[in-house]
Parts: sequence; structure tokens; C-alpha cells
Amino acid sequence: MADRWDIFCRVIDNYGDIGVCWRLARQLHYELGIRVRLWVDRLEVLTHLCPQVQMNQGCQQVDGIEICQWESCSEETLTARVVIEAFACEIPSCYQRSLLSLHESEPNPPVVWINLEYLSAEDWVSECHGLATPGSSTSLRKYFFFPGFTTETGGLLKEAGLREQVRRYQQEFTSQVSQATPELWARLVGKSGDNPLPESHEMPGELRVSLFCYLNPLIPQLLDYWSSRSAPTSLFVTQGLATNQVAEWCGHPLKAGDRLQIGALELLILPFLPPPAYDELLWSCDFNFVRGEDSFVRAQWANRPLIWQIYPQEDSAHHKKLEAFLSLYLRGICNLEAVSEFWRLWNHIPPDRSWAHASGIEDAWEKLLHFRQEWNRHSQEWADRLDRKGNLANNLQMFVRKIREETSRS
Amino acid sequence: MSVKLAGDLQSGNVVIVEGNPLVVLKAQYNKSGRNAAVVKLRMKNLLTGRVSETVVKADEKMEQIILDKKECTYSYSAPPVHVFVDGDYNQYEIDAETMADVEKYLMPEMTDVVEVTFYESKPISVVFPKVIIREVEYTEPVTRGDTSGKITKAAVLKHSKYELQVSAFVEIGDKIEIDTETGEFRRRC
Repeated sequence: MADRWDIFCRVIDNYGDIGVCWRLARQLHYELGIRVRLWVDRLEVLTHLCPQVQMNQGCQQVDGIEICQWESCSEETLTARVVIEAFACEIPSCYQRSLLSLHESEPNPPVVWINLEYLSAEDWVSECHGLATPGSSTSLRKYFFFPGFTTETGGLLKEAGLREQVRRYQQEFTSQVSQATPELWARLVGKSGDNPLPESHEMPGELRVSLFCYLNPLIPQLLDYWSSRSAPTSLFVTQGLATNQVAEWCGHPLKAGDRLQIGALELLILPFLPPPAYDELLWSCDFNFVRGEDSFVRAQWANRPLIWQIYPQEDSAHHKKLEAFLSLYLRGICNLEAVSEFWRLWNHIPPDRSWAHASGIEDAWEKLLHFRQEWNRHSQEWADRLDRKGNLANNLQMFVRKIREETSRS
Repeated sequence: MSVKLAGDLQSGNVVIVEGNPLVVLKAQYNKSGRNAAVVKLRMKNLLTGRVSETVVKADEKMEQIILDKKECTYSYSAPPVHVFVDGDYNQYEIDAETMADVEKYLMPEMTDVVEVTFYESKPISVVFPKVIIREVEYTEPVTRGDTSGKITKAAVLKHSKYELQVSAFVEIGDKIEIDTETGEFRRRC
């Protein structure tokens, strides 16, 4: 009988938490043959990623995954033998009791309870990865599993065949440069009457940039700059907070499907993109502005330069996390100051004293462009490097096997 | 027995885990971004001597045992133990491993009064005063202009390999205050 796993996810805000869980659930199911039940507290957020989800159902089968509303979990719920609580969300107490009872009454195969944490490149993550947190009075332990960028961590989510898919897409896409932007836009917004296919254009030196970010006071400055440059920039703005800021900058409301030319800047306003379409956007652009965790990881698999806006924390706890990633990401690349400088500016982190920093975001952008080719090469190499470290779903499955073997032996 | 948050645990604390008394050898607090704050604990089972590592959320409640304590002073080291003496000249040997977190503060003729903890009459850990004073054996010279105190540099303590970050104006031979709970520099004396 196929193994059955339960994944619990509480949506804190945005789409990152459920985005990671949904991807993981699908990969476990489709690639590893595991029956997965996904528990989520805010089903409406999942409907954006997976439109087939019905809001009025306690439990439903979608795309091979059983999706259940958190509130449906009760004393009668049969527990799985592998349970993942995503991002320290604390599974319901009734479920915990059932899990403990199963662990004590039917110890084989052993129950494995995992806390899947957020992604970080910090050193301490590898030191804590895979360690158990003790139960108060029982032998049922919870294991901390940390995604990460090194072999000492759990790795990153990556579907089988993704690299090849990206490679093929990019080969095809770059062979039709003059048509690329309008065709991509048409594909992403749909070819309905409201969003007619824009006429073809050829703009030598055009840069394609995707923008997905939290509120950022630097957006208007960047838009001013791009619109005043001599070289054209096509900016694909994804639906969300950034759209509002761009609309403010334009001075009038914007909606998905709008396409405006302001100086050298072409603004292309996108609807909410389901994951496959968002991937396509990332693969197509020369630079990707991403945020949070899920889009950040997807951009790393896109072989293209990325600019990360980390989820901001009041106590600036995110600064160390960003620096840790930068130091790992930029190892072995020249001109790394230009990237770290831009990233720090974008994240409002005070510049390091050790290098002379740019006077503004415009200056920092120019510096990035100077070594675009090298960064492009590095983006590919970085993805190759990550690829060699396995992937999160496989690593999770291997970890569960290891824990079961150890538990059975003891 | 009392309850303590995992994030407040320090080397020397004894907690009950799955029914066993475990002394904390090292507590490493970690928090970044959206991750829950966690503490990596290296602990020794007082009954079996087995050392294990675990990770717990910093807000997790742990059952702490309050054990007998005595004020002592450091006498000498005879690896793998360090010897402490109480006011009645009773000597107590403590495993160096148990003191992994605070061993770096030991020095000959040390006058700091430490607190030795006992479990079933056996000395098991040492807690230093919150603030101690130590001499800097080596640090790079002050860089011209870096006198604000906000810039830090590495310094090594005398009688110890312990390296910590100090303010840029600290020089070799200076006496500095150290917070023993965090291992961090507080100020120059």
C-alpha cells in the first residue's frame, strides 16, 4: 500500500507558505507515489494557485491531492504515519493525541513527525537540520527539517525534469527575440477580446524585467529611471502590492492586461499567475525581482539574474538571513559588490563600509548592467550547483526512511 | 521543579526531558527571518552520562530542576576535570565537558566566585557571575578614525583562546567586561 503523508499549513500571509506546501504535496505524490493529504486553514489562498479548489468543501480531491480545511480535523480523523507541520504551524491537538496513540499502539512502521522550516542559508541551519526535539514524556519526537542550499540541509524544491524544461524553453524563446515580449505578454494575460495580442515590435537592446515584490519606496525611482533611459525596458508587473505602487506612479488605476508606454519604459500589467505561468515569466526575463521564499526559489531555477526582497521583520532579523544567502550565492563571482549593493539597497539594509556604495538605485542598476553577462553565466552555474544537492521532496523521503530505520533498531 | 523557556536556558541548567535529568552543556539561540526562534541544546544525561543534541523552539516550556548550589572558587585544572573549592576547603571536580560553554573564562588565580550545582551530591556544573573582567591578550591596532565604538574587531583573551568581538578602540592589555551569558563584550573597564 502506498505510504500516506499529512501536510499541515497555516497561511500567515501572502502565498509563500501554501505555495511551498502545494508544490511539495504534488511532487511527493507524482514523483514519489505518496498519498498526500494537505490541511490548510485558508483555502481561499490556495484557490489562487489551484483554481479547481472548491471553497465549500471540507475535504476534496484535486489533482491527485486530498485537500482538507483545517477545521475539518477532528478526533475521528485517521492520522497518517508521516506528518509534516509546515513552518512550525503546530498541528491540531486532537490530531496530536491520535498521533501519539498510534505511535504507542502500533509502532510499526514508526510514526515520523516533521517540522518543515523556512529556507535560510545561515550556518546554524545545517547544525540544527535533522535534529529531534524531545517529547515531554514520550518517545514520539518531532524532527526539524530545514530546506537549504548545502548538502547538510534539506535542499530546495525542484520537480524532476525542471532543468531540462527551462533549458528547452530558453533555447526556443531566445531564438525569436523580436517577437518575444508581445508573445509572452499575450500568453500570460490570455488572448481574450479584452487582451488583444499587441502588435509585434523590435527593440534592440530591450531588457525584460519581472517585478514581484512587497511595498518598496524605491519603485518610483526605478520607474523614473527606466522611463528616462535611452534603452528600452519592458517591465512585467505581477498582480499585488507592486501594481498599486506602479499605478500611483502612473497617476491612474491599472488593471491586468493593461499595456502602457512611458518614455523608454513599457509597462505590462499581469493578472495573478498560477505557478506554471509564473515560471514561464521568470524563464523569459533578463532580470527577475522576486520576494519571500517560493518565488525566490523558482527564480534560482530560472538561470537568470534575480533580485530578492526578503520578507521584512520588525527586529531586522531578516538582514542576517539575506547576508548569509548573498555570501553563499556570490562565492566565486567577480564584481559581486554590484549585486550585493543593489540587493542591500532594495532591502533597505545599510551599506557595508568595506566598499564604496552607489549614490542611488539608478547608479546601482547601471553597475548591475555592466556585468550582466557574467551574472547570467553565474546564474546558470548557481542552478547547476544547487541541482547537485538533491531536492527537498527526495531528501524528505530519505530522511523519513532513515528515521524509521533508526527507530526500528532502537 | 520550575518551568523555564528553552530560549532562557543556559549552560549548567538541568531540565527533565522524557523523565531523565539532563544538564545543558551548551545552548545556542538562533533566530532569523520568519523562522521560529530555536535553541540548539547539547545536553548530558546525569544518569547515563550520554551526551545528545536536540533542537527546540525557544518558546517551548522545559521543566527545570532546582538543584543544590554552593559558592566556590576555581583552584586548578587536571584534565579532564577542573577543581573548585568551597568556603570550607572542600574540593569538587567537574568534568571539563560539562563546562564547555564557560571553560573559556577560567584563568589561573581567578577570583570570580562561581556557583557550583550538585545533583544527588555530585557537582555537575558551574555558573559564572553575569559579568566578569578579563584582559585582552591580542587585538589588531585601532584603525584611524574608528573611534565611535560602533565598529568592532576581534580580540583574544589572556589565558584563553577565546576570541570575541570588541569595540575598535580596545587595545592589547586593556581590561574588558564580558557578559558570560552571551559571551559578548560589554565595555572597557
